[in-house]
Amino acid sequence: MGAVRGCEIPEDLYYNIENNVWARQEADGTITVGMTSYAGSLAGTIVAYTPKKVGKDVKQDKSCATVESGKWVGPVKAPVSGDVAAVNDAVIAKPALINEDPYQQGWLVKIKPANWDAEAGALVTGGDAMAKFEEKMNADGFGGC
Amino acid sequence: MSWRLLDTGILRAAENLALNRALLEAHQAGEGVDTLRFLRFRPSALLGFHQSAEQELELEFCRQHGIEVQRRITGGGAIYFDEGQLGWELYLGRRSLGTADMGAIAQRICEAAARAISQLGVEARFRPRNDIEVAGRKISGTGGAFEGESLLYQGTLLVEFDVERMVQALKIPGAKLADKGLSSARERVTSLQELLGVVPPLAAIQQVLAAVFAAEFGVEFQPGGLNAAEQGRYTQLLAEMDCDEWVQQVARPFAEVPTGSALHRCPGGTLRAEVRIDRRRGMLKQVWITGDLFVRDRRLLPDLEAALKEVAISELGPRIEVFLAQRSADLLALTPADFTQVVMAAIQAAEAGHG
Repeated sequence: MGAVRGCEIPEDLYYNIENNVWARQEADGTITVGMTSYAGSLAGTIVAYTPKKVGKDVKQDKSCATVESGKWVGPVKAPVSGDVAAVNDAVIAKPALINEDPYQQGWLVKIKPANWDAEAGALVTGGDAMAKFEEKMNADGFGGC
Repeated sequence: MSWRLLDTGILRAAENLALNRALLEAHQAGEGVDTLRFLRFRPSALLGFHQSAEQELELEFCRQHGIEVQRRITGGGAIYFDEGQLGWELYLGRRSLGTADMGAIAQRICEAAARAISQLGVEARFRPRNDIEVAGRKISGTGGAFEGESLLYQGTLLVEFDVERMVQALKIPGAKLADKGLSSARERVTSLQELLGVVPPLAAIQQVLAAVFAAEFGVEFQPGGLNAAEQGRYTQLLAEMDCDEWVQQVARPFAEVPTGSALHRCPGGTLRAEVRIDRRRGMLKQVWITGDLFVRDRRLLPDLEAALKEVAISELGPRIEVFLAQRSADLLALTPADFTQVVMAAIQAAEAGHG
């Protein structure tokens, strides 16, 4: 399991570094989306989560959910375009799951991708992702998770 | 470096909040500039972005008294706002702050605001996570929103404040108790007028805030208005937000956020807790702790209340322990367990539906 400055960054996921989100292609072709452990650390404990509704279409780099922490509200930007196929009821009941288990129980939406093969090219994975997160943490003045 | 100083005067809530979005989104699109904005409101009840009007507001009272109900784009709780308070807001880029830690950014801005308020002749301090208080009583509440690398951080400054009107317009646990509700509410908020005995001129308050923010960020302010791109966004967003659909986009039943109270007698005194919980999120929304008790510093109670806001019920025990461990000298004969016990008993009463 990969980590950068103490933040878990699994090497098998696809990331949009700037938006601090991950994507995972599931066996059924849907894309599970979530915030990284680094994003959760910058935000602090998440206290509210409102996903786009199932069936709504989302565009790459546009909002697929809104989260709130420490009175800050902001969008989570979708790493790929498509239709929202599922939202996470467990996170509605316990938004802090986003911080506690960002890559498993704390996922935000599942998207039926419009064009994964083309859009995945804009995402990074593996050692490349680790290096880019290291750069981002530098630019953000971030000490560590 | 020069930032814009924008004073939009007194506006309706929908207008003020559409401007929040217009200015933030324009900033993110590279069409706006870093800005300090001053704003004021006609009587309004403003929800936090994720809140439900049914759960937070006395809608019938608001309707009867011409209090406009609106939804902010920033987080936090519902507030009552009228012409007696001054709003201040910063629009800026995350990168210019040298950190992406949202808590640190909020703290830096709040500490600067507290220094400015102190220059007006009161001793204001930042209280985590998002309040500015004087002797434990809130004088400014704050919250933020972000969009990409752009941030909006906003606060209220209670210049004059009608506590009774606030209690009537908002659903606050304990505040409507016939005997002590209003006085309990008054113990938790204050205003410049109350503290200074006079209302300082608005221009003087704005000047102090601008000077302190200018020094904090190493900039100077140039008065300016909206540019064409911001004006275009504003017109469009006002149409989107000045309607029920925007206000009601989060609509949850009141039964989901029950209140409860409990009494606890112990050698240190008698503690009373009034709570409001959120069943759906398993969270304590708000607690008021009162009672006949001896503590070294009365502000221990409001500080503890602030530290327990929006905390998961499962985390409350440890949170109370950690908070009181830093303040053990203030406790005298009380123990952290006394506080945990009364808060948990009030939560159980709320869960059981006999608040």
